[in-house]
Amino acid sequence: MQALIGGFAEVFTFSTMFWIVTGVTVGYILGVLPGLGKATGVAVSIPLTFYLHPVAAIAMLIGIAKGSTAGGAVSAILLNTPGEPSSAPTALDGYPLARQGKAGKALKMGLYASVIGDLLSTIVLIGLAAPLASYALLIGPVELCAILVFSLTFIGGLSGKSLIKGLIAGCLGIAFSTVGLEIETFIPRLTFGMLELDDGVKLVPMAIGMLAVAEMIVQAGNIRKLDAETAEIGKSNRREDRNLSLEDWKVCAMPIIRGTFIGTVIGILPGLGASVASFLSYGAARRAADRPEEFGTGRIEGVAAAESADNAVIPSSLVPLFALGIPGSVIAAILIAAFVLHGLTPGPLMFKENPTMVAAVYASMLCASLAMLVVGSLGQPIFARIARFPIRLIIPGVLLLCCVGAYMETSSLFSIYIMLIFALIGFFAKKFDYSFVTFLIGFVIGPQVELTFRQSLQLLNHDPTRLLQHPIAAVFIVITLVTLVLMARSRRNQPEAPGVATTKSLNQGGEI
Amino acid sequence: MTLKRRALLALAVAATGLAALPALAQDYPNKPITMLVGYNAGGQTDLVARGAAQVLSQELGQPINVVNVPGAGGVVSAKKLQESPNDGYTIMFHANSVVNSAPFLMKRVDFKPDDFEWGGFITAYQGGLVAPADAPYNDLAEFVAWAKENPNFAYGALSPEARMYMNEIAKKNDLKANIVPLNSGGEMINAILGHQVVMALSGGIHAKYPDQIKMLATLTTFRHSNAPEVKSIDDFGYSLAMDTRAGIMAPKGTDPAIMAKLSAALAKCETDESFQKIVAAANIPIIYMDAAAAKAEMEATFAKNGEIYKSAGVEPQ
Repeated sequence: MQALIGGFAEVFTFSTMFWIVTGVTVGYILGVLPGLGKATGVAVSIPLTFYLHPVAAIAMLIGIAKGSTAGGAVSAILLNTPGEPSSAPTALDGYPLARQGKAGKALKMGLYASVIGDLLSTIVLIGLAAPLASYALLIGPVELCAILVFSLTFIGGLSGKSLIKGLIAGCLGIAFSTVGLEIETFIPRLTFGMLELDDGVKLVPMAIGMLAVAEMIVQAGNIRKLDAETAEIGKSNRREDRNLSLEDWKVCAMPIIRGTFIGTVIGILPGLGASVASFLSYGAARRAADRPEEFGTGRIEGVAAAESADNAVIPSSLVPLFALGIPGSVIAAILIAAFVLHGLTPGPLMFKENPTMVAAVYASMLCASLAMLVVGSLGQPIFARIARFPIRLIIPGVLLLCCVGAYMETSSLFSIYIMLIFALIGFFAKKFDYSFVTFLIGFVIGPQVELTFRQSLQLLNHDPTRLLQHPIAAVFIVITLVTLVLMARSRRNQPEAPGVATTKSLNQGGEI
Repeated sequence: MTLKRRALLALAVAATGLAALPALAQDYPNKPITMLVGYNAGGQTDLVARGAAQVLSQELGQPINVVNVPGAGGVVSAKKLQESPNDGYTIMFHANSVVNSAPFLMKRVDFKPDDFEWGGFITAYQGGLVAPADAPYNDLAEFVAWAKENPNFAYGALSPEARMYMNEIAKKNDLKANIVPLNSGGEMINAILGHQVVMALSGGIHAKYPDQIKMLATLTTFRHSNAPEVKSIDDFGYSLAMDTRAGIMAPKGTDPAIMAKLSAALAKCETDESFQKIVAAANIPIIYMDAAAAKAEMEATFAKNGEIYKSAGVEPQ
């Protein structure tokens, strides 16, 4: 504690604060722009920090990572174009909210959920880095595999009206995730001889195509109605649509806490990343909700759940880095270079050799959380105006952004083709009511399950009884089985027809 | 007859080339240069490339735009390079494994050293076989003795190349290994520190963990700067050492004068302070080779690696 106060003393200088705010602002803008991810942002900025004081440099880089994670929500909500892949679930409810004229509300909730998730996770990092990290090492491939298989059961809860359609979409997602080099022998799978597919289908162009471009196509066919709607939005400038009510907070409190928990845990576990966290949190919120079928039509908890988990991943993914020197995420891996460059070797020794420096980094991370709140609050009113533009002006702009976003990561036209193909798939999925969420969950988790399963086979020496040496894994396998049985039962007992009818009437009620 | 005609033709081409090119090469570069990198932004090679780009642009007086074209370990980027004009304004900074290793692993890749011009290498990768520091063996020979007593041990492999090493060692010593696939260097570190695997192939990242990870053998022909006492795998009676270097390549037919300029500018990285800082942070040694040496190195390693993969029975997939 003493050290942390000392750390704050070091951070509260004009120049350090300036670089924190700069980092967060740059990150926020990168986050808003689809395709320009936090990884690219941090990587490109490392050389720029050569000339800064170490604390300022690291604070700025962490600020970029934090800011862009929060910024990703803005374009997801306003344009249905996730600025970061991990903001894709934010779009699922954020965008419908924006179309109902509640963009201000959704943006605010997205920001507050981000800041809360980020702040709490940072506190976990500060307080528990050392003890937690040794647990993280206990989670090996066998345990991860069991946890991931368990999380696949979320597909059941997320399928909405038709379990079969949800499962079909989930399996399609898994099928697309198998494209690329097979992990052990590098035999290409489903690449049709195209080298560009060797690394698999990329999440960014796919998500942009399925969510944003498909949405723009649907809207282009609907332009008259939407223009009327937009005009309505323009006129109705109701306070309650811009601001969060006590009711909203009540509804969102649990999802935010749950999301923060999920994000923090996923961040500490190696190799899963922010996308997995935000999807799982969204899924969990939907399962826990009283009327899960309303998700996707503009439920504010959906935004809160996704964003809190998304942002909670960033600080907690530094836990294994700080405590053991192991990068838990792409960001952490990039930050290692920056740390070493500025004289800090991440790992347990760091706390002994450079306690003041560590404290200063912690303090600057807390400051970055608050800077995020300020930058976000100032930026939102500017961005929120987008929702008031007539849709015919927005469509071309969004399509341009989509193309740029898809192109950025690989600098190749191929990604744009991928985007267009998935736009087509997304369009028909929308028309026939197949779930995006289960598709994307299958796509994000599928490869991890495959990899950890293959690793487990080798580590267990192909002997299932060895699972008993992995109690955590065994527990999760049991939970998975129990969940499946419970789900099957509740489905059977549910009287189907009336439930569907009320959902439909409710949906329509919500839209009008 | 044909030979003579061909020689004449070559002479004619050379003559026109000589007449036309010096003027081009003399004021090279007079506009920004694009530098492709075949890995994602933020990786080790990308960091080194960005550091080198800074030095090159200071030396050549033109901005250098680093463009990441990831895919298939650099093959996508190298193909893009091949299609680019050979005017020296599109170059690539990459690991030379894309040419001297990838063709032996991937059926759809047929690069040969003379499909590109080589502008010199600046760093080398320090790959090795690594184990947890508290493991009961200290070098490869001791490991083999231990492994005979402990069959079905887990070995971490990042690539088919890493599998090939274990398969060769196992074949020679009659070992039974479980090869665990790993996805990234970070995951490899986790597997070693968490004692999930008893040995793994590291591309060099292990050097950041000197207290927790030890190296049993290098996979290079040279000794590593950060662990000079560790012997090469070849010293243990195998012939499997393969060197990988990072440097500049350009489309075939790029003017040798331009390549010489790039090579000379690259040499300045050796003494540049911020470049030294970057590579030291990543534990990568600076080992400079000029354009001519790089070309010879490519010819030699291409033949050697091909032989290693062939005798190990590795088929391109």
